[in-house]
Amino acid sequence: MTEQGVGASPERVGGLARVTGGQAYVADLRHEDALQVKLVTVDCARARIIAIDPTAALAVPGVRLVISAADLPDPMPRFGPQFVDRPILAVGETKYHGEPVAAVAADTLDAAEEAARLVRVDYEELPAVFTVAGALAADAPLVQDPSLRPGDPRSLSNVLREHRYGWGNVEAAVADVVVEHAYRFPMVTQFAIEPHGFIAAPDGDGIAVWSSIQHPNWLQKVLARLLGLPLAKVRIFAPDPGGAFGGKQHAKYEPLVAFMALRAHRPVRLILTLEETFQAVRRGAAEIRVRDGYRRDGTLVFRDVDADYLIGAYADIADRTVAKGSYTSAGPYRVPAARIVARSVLSHTVPSTAFRGFGNPQQIWAVESNMNEAARLLGIDPVAIRMRNLAQPGETFIPGDTPADGAWAETIERAAAMIDWSTPPPTGRGRGIAVGLKSGPTTGLSYSTVRLLADGSVVVYAGTSDMGQGARTIFAQIAAQELGAPLDWVTVIMGDTAVVPYDQQTSASRSSVLMGDSILLACRDIQARLRAMAARLESVDEATVVVDRGVVRIGDRSLPIRDVLVRGLGLLGGEIIGLGEMRKEAEPDHPLGGTAAFFEFNCTAVEVEVDRDTGDVTVARHVTVSDVGKALNPMQVRGQDEGAAVMGLGHTLMEHYIYDETGRIRNLGAIDYRIPTSMDLPLTMDSDIVENEDGPGPYGAKGMSEGALLCVAPAVAGAVQDATGVAIRDLPLSPERVWRALRDAESAVRPDPVEGAR
Amino acid sequence: MTTTQRIELTVNGRRRSEEVAVHHTLLEVLRDDLGLTGTKACCLVGECGACTVLVDGDSVDACLVLAVEADGSSVTTVEGLAGDDGLDPLQAAFLATGAAQCGFCIPGQLVAARALLALHPHPTRSEIEEGLAGNYCRCAGYEQIIEAVQLASTTSATSGSEP
Amino acid sequence: MRAFAYERPTALADALGLLAGRGDDVRLLAGGTDLIIGLRDRSIQPALVVDVKRIAELDGDIGELDGGGLRIGARTTMTAIAADPRIRADHQALAEAAAVVGSVQIRNRATLAGNICNASPAADTAPALLVDGATVVVAGPDGARRVPIDGFFVRSRVTTLRPGELVTAIELPPAPQPRGSAHVRRTRRRGHDLASVTLTAAALPDGVTRLAYGSLGPRPVVVEDRTGVLADPAAPNRAKMERLEALFVGASPSARSMRASPEYRLAMLHVLGLRAVRAAVERRAARTAR
Repeated sequence: MTEQGVGASPERVGGLARVTGGQAYVADLRHEDALQVKLVTVDCARARIIAIDPTAALAVPGVRLVISAADLPDPMPRFGPQFVDRPILAVGETKYHGEPVAAVAADTLDAAEEAARLVRVDYEELPAVFTVAGALAADAPLVQDPSLRPGDPRSLSNVLREHRYGWGNVEAAVADVVVEHAYRFPMVTQFAIEPHGFIAAPDGDGIAVWSSIQHPNWLQKVLARLLGLPLAKVRIFAPDPGGAFGGKQHAKYEPLVAFMALRAHRPVRLILTLEETFQAVRRGAAEIRVRDGYRRDGTLVFRDVDADYLIGAYADIADRTVAKGSYTSAGPYRVPAARIVARSVLSHTVPSTAFRGFGNPQQIWAVESNMNEAARLLGIDPVAIRMRNLAQPGETFIPGDTPADGAWAETIERAAAMIDWSTPPPTGRGRGIAVGLKSGPTTGLSYSTVRLLADGSVVVYAGTSDMGQGARTIFAQIAAQELGAPLDWVTVIMGDTAVVPYDQQTSASRSSVLMGDSILLACRDIQARLRAMAARLESVDEATVVVDRGVVRIGDRSLPIRDVLVRGLGLLGGEIIGLGEMRKEAEPDHPLGGTAAFFEFNCTAVEVEVDRDTGDVTVARHVTVSDVGKALNPMQVRGQDEGAAVMGLGHTLMEHYIYDETGRIRNLGAIDYRIPTSMDLPLTMDSDIVENEDGPGPYGAKGMSEGALLCVAPAVAGAVQDATGVAIRDLPLSPERVWRALRDAESAVRPDPVEGAR
Repeated sequence: MTTTQRIELTVNGRRRSEEVAVHHTLLEVLRDDLGLTGTKACCLVGECGACTVLVDGDSVDACLVLAVEADGSSVTTVEGLAGDDGLDPLQAAFLATGAAQCGFCIPGQLVAARALLALHPHPTRSEIEEGLAGNYCRCAGYEQIIEAVQLASTTSATSGSEP
Repeated sequence: MRAFAYERPTALADALGLLAGRGDDVRLLAGGTDLIIGLRDRSIQPALVVDVKRIAELDGDIGELDGGGLRIGARTTMTAIAADPRIRADHQALAEAAAVVGSVQIRNRATLAGNICNASPAADTAPALLVDGATVVVAGPDGARRVPIDGFFVRSRVTTLRPGELVTAIELPPAPQPRGSAHVRRTRRRGHDLASVTLTAAALPDGVTRLAYGSLGPRPVVVEDRTGVLADPAAPNRAKMERLEALFVGASPSARSMRASPEYRLAMLHVLGLRAVRAAVERRAARTAR
């Protein structure tokens, strides 16, 4: 049992299918008679749609349906998790490069592709905004129709919302040194290797939709509202996503394929190309100004943050990433006075959405880099300045929110020790360190059902999506441990809203904690029934029966659960059904609607080598340490931490969208959007965890899948500055950007004799 | 006007005769015509390696091969890695090291690793990094993937043999 | 991609017959690693694709020429070139260039002939072939002809191949010894990437240094230093840099590229030039010492 239970690292549940090609992702599903869908777009950032003529497209053999706004209900149905602003297809105007104006369904993908090119779209290109400055300019065209935000004074600007947090008096705070800089974080994309896929089919008097979605129950609600159907008539199948990273949280083209399937009376399938995924999901860019006041000894006396997050043309969940990401801008520190202002700025760009870290990597890049600058300025060690200000366990550091829930100093000390912080780096190398803090879920509702079958095997029903984080394995481990079943006697059913009970969502690294607790409660429910069963069988008082980790104990006798079960169920057999319900209630007065269920905390330390001639940054050593409370499966924890670290290196060193001067994305697709390969790894990568069993999840676990990405950029930039003396406040730290910064610094410090003579 | 042509393939040891559209890639024919969906589609420009298969023993991106080009060839996909006696050592090693997270890139990683071990039965770390650089993993389980290949190279008596 | 017709001739004469009089309406398919990308994004839409891989006269072999030198058949892949011991010994830069074209999967398909016919200014093998003074062997309606590699490239996607012609082989002249060469490039990451600068340097006998670079203008360019400064290990870097500046005066990187700015490309051309020269000179010295 020990090698399978909680705290062990059994092979991934679902792993066998993943190594044999048997795992069926959305695109692998086959539906008889399915039509293939291709989207029709116009090649500019923003356009007024004058006319759409499908005649030529409909003439292509095999084309069954061409749909545009005119074929959809009027007014155009809209959807969105925060603002109901996104149309099923563009109506009147396209608002970003890649927004579909029509869609074609045909018997074959060849025919759909051919016909999509033949849909004639007359349009007039309109002025567009795709930078913060452009969107905030006095004469900027409005991205969103003001009628979508009635009564909102900001509806006549491109500021969707402004979030303000703070405590203490920043103006009155007295600092010896003020460190103020501005930082920029680029647009990057999730780049799940599985492009998003959507299938819809009429299902009796309802509809069935297959989507690689993280929140199947949320999608069910959206579609039920749009289609005017009861929830029970909307069945969402959510096959395990082939990577999601936040980009598959909310509805994208599911409403479109649902309308098309109902119109065509046939299944329709839309599998995006990678290029189309770049035009469907991205992370918000940000420009963040940080002003920190310190005493000479490194004590932080105030922090003043002003952030503009460049979100896209529709809100999706982007404003929530701004609200929640900026909220923790004071970091894990004791800050007497803080003022945080963050705006969600709409632009004619791809709608930004959730992406691992959820608004935090942007602000952590800024505030942790600024702290490294402060350390240099004050002559204080970057580890020491963090230790000086770090909130102690149990200490409230954001007024009104969850106190520090970890021994965070231990995490920093571990990382520092692993990278030999106390000894200087080898000549020519530099070291950097940073920490990342992220608020976990603020609300939650996870139901689960666990069935203990007559032979002692177990079926777990959980609405979480296993997108690679390994939720299925964790849930099986919990059930196996609690009900005494071998791991391979546990089946975990996910991804079917007709069968699996409600789960709010798979996000915020919540599932091991909230769904894990729910499953634990369902198992405890079964244990209670077993206790009653054992008491009845043995004619003892129920109070004398203990069910613990798969064993029923009565006095000094121990019986395997299965023995009690077989006898207790009797001739008719049957099963014991346990229900789990884990809630984290909303708190309406809290600025985020709820306190943090837990905090993710990570410390990253790196050692880099910089090629001064070319600007190449080599990460020689990368150390990442996360406080996980309890590692339910250490092998999976390691995979999540190291994977998050490499993903963080992507936006730190190479990833960014490149727009042309008219707002079109130039580097669509894999050729010119670079992500790390196996040749781009740090020369050494070491991950470790801190386990104090102090989390709210099962056995003291905390959520942990995002932490190791949060502070990679400031750690690397800090190391580059340590190696070269040059601060870089833009990402990515591409060779050209580093080279340029070094050159500029050189010409500033040591003017060329010829140029200096001017 | 779609032109079709009959091609003969040996796929995972089995002879197949298929009428294929000449403009369809090997990836499309494997997935859509032969139903072998283990091979995945992602970038379709030969950058990500999700569609890696072996054609006559060489690893290639199936998105950049027309199916007709493979006429007469022997093709190995992820579905053909396991033998009658169970998983290939690489598959077992990927499970043992936790290399498969979301799993979408894994078929391509496995096939590329098979080709790598055929060339270098006991590869160095840098040979593995280089040999698998054409296979993106966005879960970025590269460290565990590399460990899996190292493990397979030590546990496999047969690694290096052609499938 | 859009439908097209497909032919797979087995004889050169048949292939030439298929090409005759069709212009851009026909495309040759060798490794397909550029062609199929173009077909997919519809930047090319031929009516006919002619697969050259089964033409008997177009082999994938690397053979020794009478009188020295090597003949690389038109079907030879980058993998085969990078692994060939003769190329690795005498044409180090070409072996290095072939080894960085794409991933393993790409190199298993991409051919040297296809790489030069595609005529990308960033083609990695082009500088190496220019430095080696390769000859392109061409077959056409009027028979075979031989084109010096420097007379082959015109600009991106355009060569001096005439309508109806195809490349049957590339020949490398015997490498006068002692000599050493090195290929270097600039990319946005260590993993496979298109180069923003690609450069080969060769240290030839008698103190001559030849350099060729790509991605800094419409076509790759070869230049030569006969002053001996670059070949002199004792010469100061400053003097070498001055030489390089003079040699690279014709570099004209495009401002349209998103991979790197013209300023960075030009600066890196010189940095890489120095590095490649150093490596080539060291390799030549190692040859001499043997």
